[in-house]
Amino acid sequence: MGIALVPLAEPSSRQAGLARSGETARPHPGWLSWRRRKPDLVTAAVLVASGCVCTLVQGPTWSQATLLAVVNLTTSMTFVGTGLMLRRQPGQQRVAWALVLAGILRSLDFADALGWGPWPFYGLVFGGMDRLVGAYALLRYPGPALQRHQRVYLIVLGGFMLVGRTLIAVTSTAAWNGDPASAWWPALWPHLGLSQTISDVVNLVEGLLGGAMVVLLVLRLVRTKGLDRVVITPIIVAGLAAVAAATVSAVAQMLTSISTSPNDAYVVEGIVDLALPLAFLVAAIQSGLLLRNIAGLTAQVSADTNVDGVRFALRTALRDPTLEVLDLSARKADSGSAGLGGEEAVAAIAQAQPGDRLVELIRTEGGTPIAVVIADPGLARYRGLFDAAVQTSGLALQNAQLQARAARAELGQVRASRARLVEAGLAERRRLERDLHDGAQQHLLALAAQLTAAMTRTRDPAAIAAFEQARSQLGGVLAELRNLAHGIHPAVLAHSGLAAALEEVAERLPLPVRVTAEAPRVAPAVEATAYFVACEALANVVKHAQASSAAVDVRVAGSWLEMEISDDGVGNAGAGGQGLANMRDRIGALDGEVAVDSPAGQGTRVLVRIPCA
Amino acid sequence: MRVGIAEDSGIFRSSLAMLLEASGAEVTASAADGARLLAMIRTHPPDAVILDIRMPPSFTDEGIQTAAELRRLHPAVGILVLSTYAQTGYASQLLEAVPSGVGYLLKDKVTDADALMDGLNRVAAGEIVIDQTLVRRLLERNRTPSLITLLNERERAVLKEMAEGRSNLGIGQELFLSPRTVEAHVTSIFAKLGLNQTDTDNNRVRAVLTFLRSAGAAG
Repeated sequence: MGIALVPLAEPSSRQAGLARSGETARPHPGWLSWRRRKPDLVTAAVLVASGCVCTLVQGPTWSQATLLAVVNLTTSMTFVGTGLMLRRQPGQQRVAWALVLAGILRSLDFADALGWGPWPFYGLVFGGMDRLVGAYALLRYPGPALQRHQRVYLIVLGGFMLVGRTLIAVTSTAAWNGDPASAWWPALWPHLGLSQTISDVVNLVEGLLGGAMVVLLVLRLVRTKGLDRVVITPIIVAGLAAVAAATVSAVAQMLTSISTSPNDAYVVEGIVDLALPLAFLVAAIQSGLLLRNIAGLTAQVSADTNVDGVRFALRTALRDPTLEVLDLSARKADSGSAGLGGEEAVAAIAQAQPGDRLVELIRTEGGTPIAVVIADPGLARYRGLFDAAVQTSGLALQNAQLQARAARAELGQVRASRARLVEAGLAERRRLERDLHDGAQQHLLALAAQLTAAMTRTRDPAAIAAFEQARSQLGGVLAELRNLAHGIHPAVLAHSGLAAALEEVAERLPLPVRVTAEAPRVAPAVEATAYFVACEALANVVKHAQASSAAVDVRVAGSWLEMEISDDGVGNAGAGGQGLANMRDRIGALDGEVAVDSPAGQGTRVLVRIPCA
Repeated sequence: MRVGIAEDSGIFRSSLAMLLEASGAEVTASAADGARLLAMIRTHPPDAVILDIRMPPSFTDEGIQTAAELRRLHPAVGILVLSTYAQTGYASQLLEAVPSGVGYLLKDKVTDADALMDGLNRVAAGEIVIDQTLVRRLLERNRTPSLITLLNERERAVLKEMAEGRSNLGIGQELFLSPRTVEAHVTSIFAKLGLNQTDTDNNRVRAVLTFLRSAGAAG
C-alpha cells in the first residue's frame, strides 16, 4: 500500500518529544516559523520531481483537454506544496508525506490518457489510491495516530479497490475500457457481461464506502474538542466536499457511456479536490491565528491578574475547559513543602494526575516556577501555542504577584499610618487633658483659694455676698472644666485601665449599666478606642433605646479585645447612623470590626473586635 | 492645726497655703511631691497633711502611695487627698490603702474654707471624709444588683452621712434623729451588709467601703 511508502524517518531531535506528552519541558521553536526559513533540499527536490511527474503523466490531455490538465496539475501541486509545508508541523510527518503522495497519485490517475504501455491498466486499478491516501490524511490530522475503526476503514477501502478493480481489469480488454489496443492489458478472462457486472458492483461499493467516509468525518468533527476542533473544521468540510464530488463523478461515470470520457465531471472533481489541500493550509494558518490570540491573552490576563484570571484566560485561549492552574506559592504555604523545587513539584503533581495529562511549569522571567498548568494532552500537538500561552501566563502571574506584593506593602503602610494617626490623636487628647489639668484648672483653683482666703479676713456683708456669688459661679466653672478634661481623655483610663474607666462612665449614666471587664491592660490606643466606642454606644442607648438597663462586657480573647455593649431597649437601631459611622471609623483605624444586631423590640447589641497583640 | 502640703502645682500650693493660714491653720511643710513632704515632716509631723493625687515622678497615683507610706511612718497624722478627679475609683483605692483618718475631697473645696478646715479636723480626729459630689452620685445612681439596694431610704441617708465621716451624734443632728434611732439604723446597715456587729469602729469604715465598692470602680 502507498501508505507504507511514506518516509518514517523523524530527522530532527526537536520533534522526538512531541508525540509524547511526557517530555513536555523540552524547549521548542514554533513550527510556523517556516516562513522565515530557507527552503531545504528535500523540499526543492520533491517539488521539482513531482512537478515533472505530474506534468508528464498528463501527456495528450494537455492538447485534448487543456482545462482538465491545468486543473489536475494545479490540484496535484497544491497537495504536494501543502504536504511540504505541513512537514514543518510537529508530529505531522506522515500526514505531510501522505498529502505529497496524494498529489502525485492524483496526477498518475490520469496516466491512462497516455494510451500506451501499462498506464491504462494502472489508471484503472490504482486510480483510487489518491483517495485512500487523502482519506488517511483527513482522518488522522492533527491527531497522533489513527483510531482502530479508522484504520479498519482504510484497509477495507484500499483492499476492496485493489481487488475489485483488478477483477474488472482481468475480465475485460483495453478496448472495453476505452483504451487503445496497443496498451498492455492482462485480459485473462475477457467477458463483457461479467466485467460490466463487476464494474457496477465495484462502483456501488465504492460509493457506499464514500458514504462511510462521510460518516467517519462527521463523527470526527463531533467527537473532537478544543483546539483540534477549531483546526480540523475546514479540513472536514473540504473532505466532505471532496467525497461528494467523487461520488458525483462516480455516478456520472456510471450514467454515461463507459467509452465517453467524462472530462467535465473530472474538472469539477479536480476543482473540488483543490479545496482539500487548501483546507489543510487554512488549518495551518488557523493555528497561526490562535498563536496570535495568545497576544490577546496577555491583555486579558493583565486585566484580571490572579491565578483564577490566568486559568480562565488559558482555558479560553487554548479551548481546554479541563485546564487547571495551580498556584505554587499557595501550595508551598499550604502544605509546608517549601523546600519542594519546581521540577519536583511538577513531578509530584504530574504523578497525581489521572491519565497522561500535560503538566507544565509556569515560570517567571527569572526562571522561578510560580505555577503549574495541567492541560489536555492533545495540547501537546500545539506545542508552540501552548508554550507561548504558558510563557505569557508566567509574565502575567509574575506581574500579579508583584502587584499583590506592592499592594500588601502599601496596605501595611496605610495601616501603620492610620495607627500612627490614632496614636497621635490620643497623644494629643492626653496632652490637652494634662494642659487643662495642670494649667487652667490649677490656676482657677489657685484663684479660688486666694479669693476664699481673702474672704476669710473680711466681715463686710456686701463683700461676703459678692464672694458667695463668685463662689457658686467658680464651682460651676470648675465642675465644667473637670468634665471637659474628663471628656477629652479620662485620666482614669491611663491610670487604671479600661475596666475602671468604664465603671466611671456607668456611674454617670441615668440607667443601671453592668460592666464586666476582665481585660488585662492592652495598648493605650486600643483601650482608648474601646473606651470611646463604648461611650458612643452607651450614649446611643440613653438617647434612643428606651432601655431599662444596659451591659458592657469586655474580654481579651487571643490577640483580640472583644467588647459587647447590649441593652434591653426597643432595638431597631439604624445601621447607617452617624454614631455607628464614627464607631466604624475609630475601630477601622485599628483594623478592628464592629457589628450591630438590633432586631425590633429585642434590644441592641454592638459587637466590637480590635486586634490588640 | 499644723498642716503639711504635697502639691506639684506651685501656684495652687501657695494659694492653698495662703487659704489655710487665713483660716487659722499653720502650714509647717510644703513640697512639690510626696517624697519631699515625707522628708520635711520626718522629725516634726503635722496634725494633718493635704496630698494631691497626681504628682511627680510618674503623675499617676503618687498621692495614694504617699498616704500609705505616711500612715506607716506617722499613724496619727490625718490624711486629706485633694483631687481634681471626681472619681470613685481613686476614693476606693485610697480607703483600701488607708482605712481611717483619711479623706477624699475635690479641690473645688477651696471655695469653702469651713468645709476644708472641717475635713482637716475630722481626718486628724481619725474620721473618714468623702466628697459630697461623689457620695451623691453613688447614691443617686440606679444600679442593680447591689448590696446598697438592700437598704431602705432612711438607712441609705444614714450611710451617706457615715461616708461623709460623721459620728452617730453628727448624723442625728444632720437628719433630726435621736442618737438611739441612728444607732438602730447603723446596726441594721451593718446587718444588711453582712458586717460584724461588735467591731463598731472598723465596721463604719467597712460599710463605707462596701458602699463605695458596690457602687464603685474597684468592682
